[in-house]
Amino acid sequence: MKINTEKCVGCKNCVPYCPVNSILVSDGKVFIDHDECVDCGVCLRAEVCPVDALYMPPECFEYPRAIRMQFSDPGVEHPNLKAWGRGTEEAKTNDVSGKFARGEYGLLLEFGRPGTGTRLREIEKVTTFMRSMDIPILEDNPLYGLLEADMSGKFKPEFVDEKILSGILELRIVEDDLEDILGKMFSLLKTLDTVVSVGLVSRFDENARLPVIEKLEAMGIPVRPNAKINAGLGRPLID
Amino acid sequence: MSHSLHRYGTRENLKNDFCIYTRAARGVNRENCGDKLRKTLEIYLSEAVVNFGSSHAGKCFLAGLKPEEYAKTLDNSYGIIATFADREAVKGVLRKAKEAELGISTVVSGLIDDVVDIIHEVGLKPHTALLSLGIHGKTSLLPEKEVLEFTTMCGHSLLAQNLVRSVVEKVKNGRLTIEEASLILAKPCICGIFNVKRCAGILAEKLKECGCASNEEKGA
Repeated sequence: MKINTEKCVGCKNCVPYCPVNSILVSDGKVFIDHDECVDCGVCLRAEVCPVDALYMPPECFEYPRAIRMQFSDPGVEHPNLKAWGRGTEEAKTNDVSGKFARGEYGLLLEFGRPGTGTRLREIEKVTTFMRSMDIPILEDNPLYGLLEADMSGKFKPEFVDEKILSGILELRIVEDDLEDILGKMFSLLKTLDTVVSVGLVSRFDENARLPVIEKLEAMGIPVRPNAKINAGLGRPLID
Repeated sequence: MSHSLHRYGTRENLKNDFCIYTRAARGVNRENCGDKLRKTLEIYLSEAVVNFGSSHAGKCFLAGLKPEEYAKTLDNSYGIIATFADREAVKGVLRKAKEAELGISTVVSGLIDDVVDIIHEVGLKPHTALLSLGIHGKTSLLPEKEVLEFTTMCGHSLLAQNLVRSVVEKVKNGRLTIEEASLILAKPCICGIFNVKRCAGILAEKLKECGCASNEEKGA
């Protein structure tokens, strides 16, 4: 996103709308730090500019920069998946996809959320670590399409310095590895220059209980009281 | 899109905060799901829906998205999401969706115990949960917790922390009503999962804490 400085009247109306604080003011002039901007389009959609000075320049639609808006503006499609938003199905369709079975957990790591954004190099620290432990990175995910084909967990070099508002890494782990992997993962996350919202996918047991909550609490890992629950309405149902 | 998870707040202010997302699955039932999504929208609208939205249209219901126009676009979509502020509405949606036998996966966000109870009450069985283990990494980058209660209601992080601070300040100064402020904060969340009722409740609490009277009270 850019501001047409010829048109801008310096009213600063757009400044508070930027989720990553990249609309700046200097000497009374308003401008966008183009390297920090994630092309989410919030400032433009806010319709607060009295002279229509905000615009998305052509270079924002060209690769590698184009991934910024794909991961930051939920209305822009991820072309490799024909999906929008962060593009994941995870627990949402697990009743018909069977992506995560009993005895397995899904780990959903949302980098840059809430509200800090992230460079892909920060995500790469985790993808390479997970691959070094032979943990598969799930393919049905927009981030997967940006990885090198050698399964090292490295992103293609042209994407590493790109900044996005948030991106979700999806991993599948087996029940017995939970404590070991979470312990190592939380230590690694502390070294990142971004925040990560961590989600864990678990099947309910036959009695509609979630034994994993007690397991996590015994490990000293608090679970938030609110969650997202698949109500089992999909058909054909994978029980 | 796991964007209705990770809403930050107290158990008390998360109590009447629900999102329902009906989502067709790639390779299973996504092809030609438009009619089923339109039926789902009809069901949502038949209950006390607070908000819904469309990332394609770039706006939510509260910012002017018309249901009939939105319905026409659903052939190019694979899911719809809406926000509710009471458990009976959620129960009504699930009951009607079950009766309609649409066969499209449906997830409900809210307090775990409440959601599981609602699912049981309509004769369904909870299948899978996505739990939140909180925010990790360089948490010094985060804004204050009071701001997170608002910003995390947009799971795509489109609601800026500075907009929240500015709007809260204007409410405290009497320059915006709670209702006006809630609508300003709802607008960047184009999926429509920003819960204006929960927002209004939190703003009212903030006014109480600072000993300020709301514009609504001043006018009373």
